[in-house]
Order: sequence, then structure tokens, then C-alpha cells
Amino acid sequence: MKILVCVKQVLDADGPVRIDASGKWIEEAPAARFRMNRFDEFALEEALRIREGFPGTRIDALSAGPARAAQTVRRALEMGADDGIHLFLDDERYRMPFEIASLIGAYASDRHYDLILAGVMAEDDMQGQVGPMVAEILEYPWATAVMSQKLHKTGDGPDASGTIYVERELEGGLREAFELTLPALLTIQSGINRPRYPALSHVLRARSQALITIPASRPGETDPVSFPAPRERIQSLEEPAPMKTGVILSGNPSEKAEKLRQILQERAFL
Amino acid sequence: MNNEIIVVAELSDNRILPVTYELIAFARALAAGDSAPVRMIVPGRETHAVARDLADETGLDTIALVGDPLAFYNAETWMTAMAARLAVRKPRYICIAHTSRGCDFAPGLAVRLGASCITAVEGFSRQDGAARFVRKIFNGKIKMDVTPERDTTVLTVLPGAFKVEQKSPRAHLAGSMEVLKIPDHPQKIRTLGVIPAEEQDLDLALADVIVSAGRGIGAEENLELIRRLAGLFSKSAMGCSRTVCDLGWLGYKHQIGLTGKTVAPKLYIACGISGAVQHIAGMRGSKMVVAVNKDPRAAIFQIADIGIVEDLMTFIPLVMDA
Ligand SMILES: Cc1cc2nc3c(=O)[nH]c(=O)nc-3n(C[C@H](O)[C@H](O)[C@H](O)COP(=O)(O)OP(=O)(O)OC[C@H]3O[C@@H](n4cnc5c(N)ncnc54)[C@H](O)[C@@H]3O)c2cc1C
Repeated sequence: MKILVCVKQVLDADGPVRIDASGKWIEEAPAARFRMNRFDEFALEEALRIREGFPGTRIDALSAGPARAAQTVRRALEMGADDGIHLFLDDERYRMPFEIASLIGAYASDRHYDLILAGVMAEDDMQGQVGPMVAEILEYPWATAVMSQKLHKTGDGPDASGTIYVERELEGGLREAFELTLPALLTIQSGINRPRYPALSHVLRARSQALITIPASRPGETDPVSFPAPRERIQSLEEPAPMKTGVILSGNPSEKAEKLRQILQERAFL
Repeated sequence: MNNEIIVVAELSDNRILPVTYELIAFARALAAGDSAPVRMIVPGRETHAVARDLADETGLDTIALVGDPLAFYNAETWMTAMAARLAVRKPRYICIAHTSRGCDFAPGLAVRLGASCITAVEGFSRQDGAARFVRKIFNGKIKMDVTPERDTTVLTVLPGAFKVEQKSPRAHLAGSMEVLKIPDHPQKIRTLGVIPAEEQDLDLALADVIVSAGRGIGAEENLELIRRLAGLFSKSAMGCSRTVCDLGWLGYKHQIGLTGKTVAPKLYIACGISGAVQHIAGMRGSKMVVAVNKDPRAAIFQIADIGIVEDLMTFIPLVMDA
């Protein structure tokens, strides 16, 4: 069986997040830290667990991104993916979900993955679109926000068939269950598992393993994977106004603590 | 192209969910500029009566999209049923709720229709006659204005972001109601049904004060600090962000937000929570919000009444001793 896991590299938002000179995306400060999107870690972990249940399964991890995204592909190898694929974008411009989904779709179209997994959304742009878009491009059935899955596979190779039982998350603690015919795509919700830390043996293997790097073309060019025209455009980014109605307490930490207690007492909470 | 705006109703047990009225309010505001017609689609096995009521109540023309395959939600049937009708209508905008199900089928629908797709929309502005849609990125730290490039655009609208006008009076003129029956059966997805939520406890619902922990508490041990802070108040309870549950620090029954509990206590104290829209969706109704976060630009401060920019590990002990 073949599984593809889509992993995105995102800027860690614990550090500063500043708008770049173009006003259309985020600056890459020298100190910026990039890492794997956490939701994708859950997706990759789920793939690793499926492989444990179905020995012989191969897991490809793929990231579409600029040169630095190779680190995230390598991280996926360290966690245990068999092969790492880097759809190489030759600049750091932000791409809309449909552009990325088209690239991934073009890559995956003749590679017969039985299952494609992705995170429920990316922590940076928070769109949640790439997964279901890839599924629709490939004409795979899909389910998003999956909180539990069970694979039923019969046979292997080209004649393989099977289904996957999934529970996806609704509001208010409800779930709904489906059975999808393979091949299928799932986007994985956080909390489905606890992503593992890389084992030393995998870290060592990943160090020497070459990534499969595929250049992604610009519109009109004929590289192996093709790019569509964007369907949406970012007009501007802006930092929201600091505070609408509230106040930020000033002073040293003890003064602030004192003020807070006063306010809470005035309002009869204490 | 026409300038029609389609609103896709969301139902549960054949009843219209409140978020649908927010979508209608959003669509009407969006239409106002160019007096575009707003039309509803109500999908389900037998939504004739619900669609009729909705047309009477709102005055909007309504399409009941009915058929056995629509008895239960799944992405494939929803999308296939809608894409066929929408491809011929070529509306300008299709408004879908940014709920679990809305997020499930909207992006695929956009691909099928060759449409633009903008998710988690919180509002819009107009510039030179064109609508720019507002959404947030990086857990609310940055606001993004997006414009569509295609003739049709699928929008998912964040619940709670667009207020429903005062319970509008019943429309003078009822809208028309049309029934479209879909014959197609799903091919690749079989719906097995909804699984009820695990036993709920009422602590959060009954609490006057909720003290909530985010990933910023750093480690499970530090929950003790949050617990002690909660102990200062009578009728208090502990809440948390989803991340804290995912890390296994607290059970999911403590989770507040879009996919957790919706709460409206008299006082909500957010400790080390960034303020992602999915979290805010669950505590927006709190009467007073206090936020403690070491990042002055954390989005939680945008909705806080009292903001404290400090490391919670040093600050909370000071509050206890003050
Ligand atoms: C479909 C879907 C549904 C979701 N539903 C929910 C939901 O119901 N509820 C929910 O909460 N989330 C939900 N999320 C997740 C949400 O998007 C965020 O990822 C999550 O809310 C972030 O949690 P957090 O604020 O604890 O962590 P982070 O975003 O990592 O924020 C941590 C914060 O702590 C601060 N901090 C760090 N150290 C300190 C310190 N020492 N002192 C003070 N401050 C500190 C940081 O500045 C930061 O602002 C959902 C996501 C998806 C995709």
C-alpha cells in the first residue's frame, strides 16, 4: 500500500510575525524559526501507525515550498517516512491553496496512492483548503477533521481494494462516521494521536537519504509539475488595531498584579 | 455572469441552525451595494416545509434541494448535488457556514465549479466597488484582505463573526419556493451516522468565572498554578485551549472553542492563550475578559477588557500574593 502525507513548513508564530515590504506576506526575519505545521505532524503520525498495522506500506512525505522547506521534508523522514519529496518553488512568495493543491494533484495523479493524508489546516494561513482540493482534483472521496480511522484493505498491488472507516469531528463534541472507498484522502484533526519524536536510527538514516526534488514550474512553462493561475489575490495584510475597548495594565509586575486584584475586587469577583 | 448570491442553509435534524441567519445577514450586506438577489439553498432529504418557512420568514427565494441521497450529510453527495445546480446558475458568491461540515465540502465545491475560494471570512469592505474579504492568519495576529479573481466565489463565513440584525420582522412578501430533486446516489462515501458526544459535565456552563489555560503554560505541572488561581473565586471552573487537550494536559471536556464548549461566564481569564478564531468562537460572549500573555501582539488582547503583558509564571503568583 502507498500513502502520501502532505506536510507544510510554517513560520513559528511564537517569534515575531511582521508584514514584509510588499505588504502582502510575512517577513522572513533572520531569526525566524520554521517548522512543520503541527496539524501535519498528526497526519504523519497517523500514517506511521497505519504502516505498523499493515507492514509493507510505503509512506511518501511531500512538501511544496521554497528551498528551506527541504528541512521539513527531512523532518518527516526523521519521524519515519520512507521517502521525502520536495516540490521546489523557486521563490518565497505565498501561494494560494488552489495553486498548491494543483501542484500536489499533478504530482500524485499517476502515482496511485491508496491514501493521502494532510493536516486539517495550516497554522500560518489557516485556510484548510488544500486537502479537500487535492481530493477533488484527483477525484478521490475525502473526509476532513478526522479524529479516528480504521483501514480495511483487501489484496495488494494494482488490484488492491478496500475501504476506510472514519469519524470526523462536528461541533459540540459530536462526531459523524463514514466509510470511504479507497483511494481516499483524509485531513487529520489535532488530538487524534500523540506525534512521536524522531528515533535516533531514523534521524541517522534521514541524514544520508537524498530527497526527491521536483521543480514546480511557473504558468506557461513546462516543468514536470504545472502551476495554475491564482484564483484569489491578497490585497493587503495589516496588524489588527491593538485593542478596541480594553486597557493594557502598566507598571512593574507587582503593580499590575495589585491593579488586577483591585479591579476584580471592585467588580465583586473577589 | 450574474450577481446572484447563494446562501447554503445548514440544518440539523431538519431544523435550520442559527448560523444560517448569520449567513443571510452577511449575504444581504454583501448584496446591498449592487442590489444583488439573494437566494437560499436548503439541502436535505425532505426540506420542502423548512424551505417554505424560510421563504415566508425571510422573503428570500428558496430552493429545496431534496432526495434520498441527501438524508445524511457527506461531502460527496452535498457537493455533487450542489455543483450541478450551481454550475448552471453561475452565482457571484456562494456563502457557506465555516462549520465542520461547511469546511468539509466548500473547497471541493470551489474546485468543481472552477471558483475562487475564501475561508473563515469575518467581514468585508468595499474598494472601488469590489468586495474585499477579511480573514485572519497566524492565530489572529494578522488580518488579511483578499479579493477573488474568478466570476464565482465560494465563501465560508465564520460563525459569530457576522451579527444577525435585530430579529427582523417577518417579510411582507414571502419568497418563492422551488423544489429540485436529485437522483444521484453517492458512489464513494457511505454515511454511517452521527455519534453522540461523551458525557458532559456542567461545571463550565454553571461557572461565574472561568480560568483558562493555553499552551503558554508550558508544561502540565504548571496547571497547578492555574488551578490555584481559579481557587480564588467562588463558582469557578477550569477551561483550556484545544492545544492543551491535544497535549494530554487536560481532558477534552475542558476545551473551549468552535469544536469545544461555548461559554459566557461573568469573567474569563485567558492564561497563555494566543486567541485563535477557533478559540474566541467559544468565549466571545464572556462579560469580562482578562488576558495574560507575554506577547503584546497576541490576538487575545484584541478582545480583552484587561490585558496583562507578562510571563504568567511570574505574574500569577504575584496575583495570588497581592
Ligand atoms: C477545525 C479546527 C477547530 C478548532 N477548534 C478549537 C477549539 O474549539 N478551541 C481551541 O482553543 N482551539 C481550536 N482549534 C485550534 C486553534 O486553531 C489554535 O491552534 C489553538 O487555539 C491554539 O491554542 P493556544 O492558544 O493554547 O496555543 P498557541 O497558539 O501556541 O498560543 C500560546 C500562547 O501562549 C503565549 N505564551 C507562551 N509562553 C507564555 C508565558 N510564559 N507566559 C504568558 N504567555 C505565554 C504565547 O505568546 C502564545 O500567544 C481548532 C483548529 C481547527 C483547525
